[in-house]
Amino acid sequence: MIPDFFIGIVMIVGTIIVYILSKKLYIKFPSPFLLPITVSLIVIIVVLSFLHIPYDTYMTGGSWLNHLLGPGVVALAYPLYEHRKILKKLAVPILVGTITGALIGILTGVGLASLADFNADILYSISPKSVTTPVAVSIIESIGGIQSLGAVFVMIAGVGGTMMSAFIFNASSITSPTSKSIGLGCASHVIGVTKAMESSQQQGAISTVTMILSAVFVSMTLPFILLLFI
Amino acid sequence: MLKGLKIITQILFLYVFYLIGSWIQSTFTLPIPGSIIGMILLFIFLLINVIHEKWVKEGANWMVSHLVLFIIPATVGIMNFFSFFKGKGLLLILIVLVSTAMVLISTSFSTQWIIRRKKDHI
Repeated sequence: MIPDFFIGIVMIVGTIIVYILSKKLYIKFPSPFLLPITVSLIVIIVVLSFLHIPYDTYMTGGSWLNHLLGPGVVALAYPLYEHRKILKKLAVPILVGTITGALIGILTGVGLASLADFNADILYSISPKSVTTPVAVSIIESIGGIQSLGAVFVMIAGVGGTMMSAFIFNASSITSPTSKSIGLGCASHVIGVTKAMESSQQQGAISTVTMILSAVFVSMTLPFILLLFI
Repeated sequence: MLKGLKIITQILFLYVFYLIGSWIQSTFTLPIPGSIIGMILLFIFLLINVIHEKWVKEGANWMVSHLVLFIIPATVGIMNFFSFFKGKGLLLILIVLVSTAMVLISTSFSTQWIIRRKKDHI
């Protein structure tokens, strides 16, 4: 038998290579369909299925990378600090937007899933879908639920929300660029931020600050809101 | 080389905050993830200048720009749920999209209303 340690190393190196290549691909062809996370995911799952490697075996190495999620979330304090002037200047709209978005997102997501009669595991997994994946995965880790399912819901919210945003903004009377950036940061996390960044660096920063605050707010209120449903 | 060493040291520093956050979470049995508690602490320490920006800047920027790498392993687990999305699970995709559209609309409208109201007062 090949020792676990060796398998672990192969899985980590493989994941890193796929990640680097998918990032290069996205720099060449920046489309919401070619996001590094989506491409990496498809490539890794196809390779694992093709070689009949179960997920648990992959995780002998994968879990090492997973350990870096914690410090990764801590690192988000820096961009928040870096943009503290924007946070101060737009405190009221950003806070109101964050609270509105977080509450509507949790209530409609969990509410609709609960109406459709899904079990508690699914409700837990869908609840943090508006926040950035590392935080969503950590939230599910502490409240319960299925992390990978949660990560997929986050991805759908990101790609779907960003693609719907152009249509929604055109069809409604939402014209303020700041409001658009706050909406994108609240609903579609990093992918929404990338979209906001297209209009200007400043709008990208507004969206980033919103995304981080929304992650903090959702992780603090979610455990209590879920008590209404479960 | 020196830059790589600096980044690694700073990531270890961030890891300490994660450990402190996790310790607070388990000691007080809080439902909030330890990483978020660590993040809030670091933000506060940066604001009150207990921790200097220079001590974390490179490491934090590196971590943030490679966050995708660290979420891949957890996400790959979806391979065990494909059959789920063939059935009723498909409905969840629709639910996520509807809920996301509602977040986008409610957030953008509420902030636009506040921004405009503020301007009228000036």
